[in-house]
Amino acid sequence: MSIATVKKAPLKPKDYKSDVSVVWCPGCGHYGILNAIYRALSEAGVDPSQLISISGIGCSSRSPYFINSYKMHTLHGRAGAVATGAQLARPDLAILVLGGDGDGFSIGGGHMPHMARKNVDMTYVLFDNGIYGLTKGQYSPTSRPEMKAYTTPYGGPEEPMNPLLYMLTYGATYVAQAFAGKPGVCAELIKGGLEHRGFSYINIYSQCPSFNKIDTIEFYRDLVEAVPKDHDVTDLGAAINLARQSSEGRAPMGLLYKADRPTLDQRMHAMVEGVNGSPDYDLNQIIDLNRP
Amino acid sequence: MEKKDLVIRIAGEGGEGVISTGDFIAAACARAGQEVYTFKTFPAEIKGGYAMYQVRTSLDPLFNQGDTFDILCAFNGEAYEVNRHRLVPGTAFVYDYPAGDFEPEIPDGVIAYPIPMSQTAKDMKSYRSKNMVALGALSALFNINEKTLIEVLVDKFKSKGPENLSFNLEAFHKGKELAAALDKKDLWRVADPVPAKDVLIISGNDAVGLGAILGGIRFYSAYPITPATEIAKFVAVHIPKVMGTLIQAEDEIASISQVLGASYAGKRAMTATSGPGLSLMGEMLGMASMSETPVLVVDVQRGGPGTGMPTKHEQSDLFLAIHGSHGDAPRIVMAVEDVGDCIHMTVEALNLAEYYQCPVILLSDGSLAFSTQTVPAPKPGAIKIVERKRWDGTGEYQRYQASPDGISPMADPGTPQGMHVATGLEHGPAGAPNHSPPNHEAMHRKRFGKLKTVVDFVAPTQVDGEGQADVGIIAWGSTIGVVREAVVRLREEGIKVKGFYPKLMYPMPVVHYEAFAATCNKILVPEVNFQGQLSHFIRAETSIVPISMTICGGVPFTPIQIMNKVREIL
Repeated sequence: MSIATVKKAPLKPKDYKSDVSVVWCPGCGHYGILNAIYRALSEAGVDPSQLISISGIGCSSRSPYFINSYKMHTLHGRAGAVATGAQLARPDLAILVLGGDGDGFSIGGGHMPHMARKNVDMTYVLFDNGIYGLTKGQYSPTSRPEMKAYTTPYGGPEEPMNPLLYMLTYGATYVAQAFAGKPGVCAELIKGGLEHRGFSYINIYSQCPSFNKIDTIEFYRDLVEAVPKDHDVTDLGAAINLARQSSEGRAPMGLLYKADRPTLDQRMHAMVEGVNGSPDYDLNQIIDLNRP
Repeated sequence: MEKKDLVIRIAGEGGEGVISTGDFIAAACARAGQEVYTFKTFPAEIKGGYAMYQVRTSLDPLFNQGDTFDILCAFNGEAYEVNRHRLVPGTAFVYDYPAGDFEPEIPDGVIAYPIPMSQTAKDMKSYRSKNMVALGALSALFNINEKTLIEVLVDKFKSKGPENLSFNLEAFHKGKELAAALDKKDLWRVADPVPAKDVLIISGNDAVGLGAILGGIRFYSAYPITPATEIAKFVAVHIPKVMGTLIQAEDEIASISQVLGASYAGKRAMTATSGPGLSLMGEMLGMASMSETPVLVVDVQRGGPGTGMPTKHEQSDLFLAIHGSHGDAPRIVMAVEDVGDCIHMTVEALNLAEYYQCPVILLSDGSLAFSTQTVPAPKPGAIKIVERKRWDGTGEYQRYQASPDGISPMADPGTPQGMHVATGLEHGPAGAPNHSPPNHEAMHRKRFGKLKTVVDFVAPTQVDGEGQADVGIIAWGSTIGVVREAVVRLREEGIKVKGFYPKLMYPMPVVHYEAFAATCNKILVPEVNFQGQLSHFIRAETSIVPISMTICGGVPFTPIQIMNKVREIL
């Protein structure tokens, strides 16, 4: 996000809470993530009026309602694309995208690679609970095959995807993972994402006690493993190797990768400068190019 | 009746220079003070296939591509085969002979001018000069002003080096000499030059792009689709000059999503597409209706459904434009008549979107997309830009607060104390989800009710003619231009006929329709789609029972077709 959004007198985490009451089920991991977001926003010093929180549809996509900021609650799968437009229109603002695994990687899967490779300057927090919760428990792109659910009464016929590997492959410049049961780690990583200039992706495992009966809080606690202290976050190969552990029954927790690369809006700005763009550009010059 | 205009059709294989030859003639005529209306068809393939470019030129205003051509210039046998049935007595026929790939039979009364285009090009050791030979011949035979034509060629080729220019001019002069050696036996000639007018010569797609820039867009999201892609090309070149951004999105769903995001962030934003893209955008158009976010989508219609006929003309997206979304999703739909409208109605459509905070769909069509026309040069100072209503920062801000005109002020992100949600969920005045029956009904009344004044915001319709008529013709889109000419020619025959031309398609200006119909014994609605889509809306929303006249062969109407139908139903 842009430095210009940082306020001099930081607000407390509670100052980022809106007056809309949170509607998730008891025991849902999303509570922890939301609290981590409040903390991250506070620690990064984001001015609420300079922040747009954007979501699609799903349990986690309700999050913007609970955050004191400008916000858009859009359509299923489209948060990232809407956010791309908002970011390019106002690169001076901070953009926070919040959504789930089905929203992001199933219906919204067409947009994910492009935000990553174009390095759109935003922070994407994906609440990964391996299930569609709002529609009462269908398997998602991150569900394990052994999960019996609404439309998979005999277990899932598909292999899950690996969000970290996906994002690293497509060129995201900040890739991290955490677990909702570790709100401190979540806050730290989200804050890092907010402060990173570029496309930041933070995958957060979040238990769904209502519908995902196999990915419990205990399961995730055993699954995650802190990124080794000597991991070089600028080493893409090393990050990919860590990400691949997820298919071997372990999942890295922490920052896997961070790179500096021009953002899309920076490149667009260079184009404007290249043609001496100005709000007072003489439009007659454009008109005259179309004379016979 | 003296014919004041002249129609030259050039046809051949795509890639042979058919299109550039037409462009040169059109530009030269415009520089010689003529009005120009061109029409093109070209293959869906990248290379090869039948290509056609027709230039209609006159000292008087032109509204359509004409009934047929006066002069055919055939570059190859296919061009001859496709057009031979239109070689009526009096037509001049210029063709590649000898040493071309065909030997035509010349129908009685057709004046033939064989020009060895391929042979001359071969002698010059460059096949690329074939069209220059043809251009020289056409110039000599039909009085296409040589001075302006050479100026156009110099402007076109000078950047490619002096050798390239002199080579092309040499081919041009060879063609001229070949034609001069023939006996001129027809009467077709372009009028002598008059002082050039203050005009542009521009295609429908470029004109939409120009309208967008003049209309103050700062964000454009593009996705390639025939026949709309050139709009993005135009905007891409110029939008950085006005500090704006064009992004090519991953698909049309992303395009409309990005436009919505940019608009929420406070910028004038748009995209352009064709029918398949508009289909994909349907859900997000509903989101824009619900969240009351200004967005403009230009739909350059093509033959549908499915992939349909991507390069062919059709007016078949009216149903989709008006109703294409789930739920009751209000929007404004406008349709352009000609290239001039492409400029000014794009500006107007942006103003409407901003003022009414809703999706606006501007319909163009395949024949206008590539038709270049002479249009008065717009004056930036005379262009009116209407901004969205913005919150003045006083009191407590509620994004969807009720107001007498149904329009609630917006607040750009970054405005202190203006934080609010743009949401696709039904909501109350502050934006919080609210699914209560009275609220949903009240919000529908707000979203539809605010559009009641659109009819006063724009010139919704035009009426052509006065008093009582036997037949009133209601036409939309580029069919209007065909009807304008048919009406003039029918009146010359003593037939009482009037025209009614809606530019605002939705909300439908019902009162205007009814008032017009009250002055006509019969109402004819010609349109280029199978179902008679405007007729359908007329029957649904008015008391008028129209006679629907539809064609959908991938080409526009001609004036003669309309005239014949009017005579038939009198």
